[in-house]
Amino acid sequence: MDDWGQLLGQANAGDAPAYAHFLQAVSPVLRGVVRARGGALGEAGCEDVVQEVLLAIHLKRHTWDPTAPVRPWLYAIARYKVVDAFRARGRRIDLPIEDFTEVLAAAPERDPTEAADMAKMIGMLDDRSSAIVRKIGLEGASMAETGAAMRMTEGAVRVALHRALKTLASLRERHVE
Amino acid sequence: MKTDDLIRALAADTAPERPLAPLMVLALVPALLVGMAGLWLVMGFRSDLWAAAFDPVAQMRWVLTGALALVSMRLGLVLARPEGRGVVRFWPLLLVALAALAVLLWAYVTTPPEARSMATYGKTQWACLVGIPLLSVLPVAAVMWALRRGATTAPALAGAVAGLIGSGGGAAVYAMHCIEDSPLFYVTWYGLAIVGVTVVASVIGARVLRW
Repeated sequence: MDDWGQLLGQANAGDAPAYAHFLQAVSPVLRGVVRARGGALGEAGCEDVVQEVLLAIHLKRHTWDPTAPVRPWLYAIARYKVVDAFRARGRRIDLPIEDFTEVLAAAPERDPTEAADMAKMIGMLDDRSSAIVRKIGLEGASMAETGAAMRMTEGAVRVALHRALKTLASLRERHVE
Repeated sequence: MKTDDLIRALAADTAPERPLAPLMVLALVPALLVGMAGLWLVMGFRSDLWAAAFDPVAQMRWVLTGALALVSMRLGLVLARPEGRGVVRFWPLLLVALAALAVLLWAYVTTPPEARSMATYGKTQWACLVGIPLLSVLPVAAVMWALRRGATTAPALAGAVAGLIGSGGGAAVYAMHCIEDSPLFYVTWYGLAIVGVTVVASVIGARVLRW
């Protein structure tokens, strides 16, 4: 019944396509909640928040207990990070968990808004890490291609990407404007 | 950066993370062992440790503090999940507290009135009030370290629970030195030390367990 749970289960077992599906499926719901609450941030500002939440979900995905339903887990992370993101932008919001179940997911867009913060954060990484994140994210390169381009083994790219994403999250924590 | 691009980068990172429970145990055990070694070097174990381990009244110290640590560890692992704040149940903790109170009450009733005050104050309350918090530092730090890999949405509460786990363990270690066998002593002073550590750990947790 719960396809999100199934996708995340496969994702945590190392299935990258299932994981991409999962993140794509939850993004419109996050976007809907963020836009309903943070219209004043503008579309790009809202997308910044969505991306922050996605990064948090990514780094905490192993805290999901596969025997528990996935939505309460997901909404709890999202709520915590959305409130945190708004606080970092000088706004206090009250976000009942019901908002997530009641809000309409944002309509799927062919070309969702470009957000600025994450690119800024990636620019603050060391050169090699930022090159890896850009190659895989923006150019859609595979691990093998990235490794060949950067003269690294695939395993080393994997480790570097994982570290880079962790660093991004801690940069975000410190860079509260 | 577009969200789809970010998702592509996130999905490529399939590095598995270790589950939290073994991580917490793995961190806690060496912390307790170091405390034990430190206690043995600085203060020494009680000479009749072996006999005390089989004496039902003296034994209750390890039973109570051990139960506190184990029950709190379960709570901590639930609180480490983002939705844990909503599903956590505190009654097992209440059971441990009630058991401690029952032991205290039993000791009060069975101790002759003129001996109660001496049994309560003992001779080593300060050693206890300093020793248990000191022995709790490493275990609390170990649990916090593990909890930081979780995703608690109640940092102060999770910090308090880390305090209970660590000071429960620390008190159990301290009991290997302590010769005050009356529950009037140990429920009172161990309890006070544990409460103190828990309050401090809650304040620390509110800062370090945010993410």
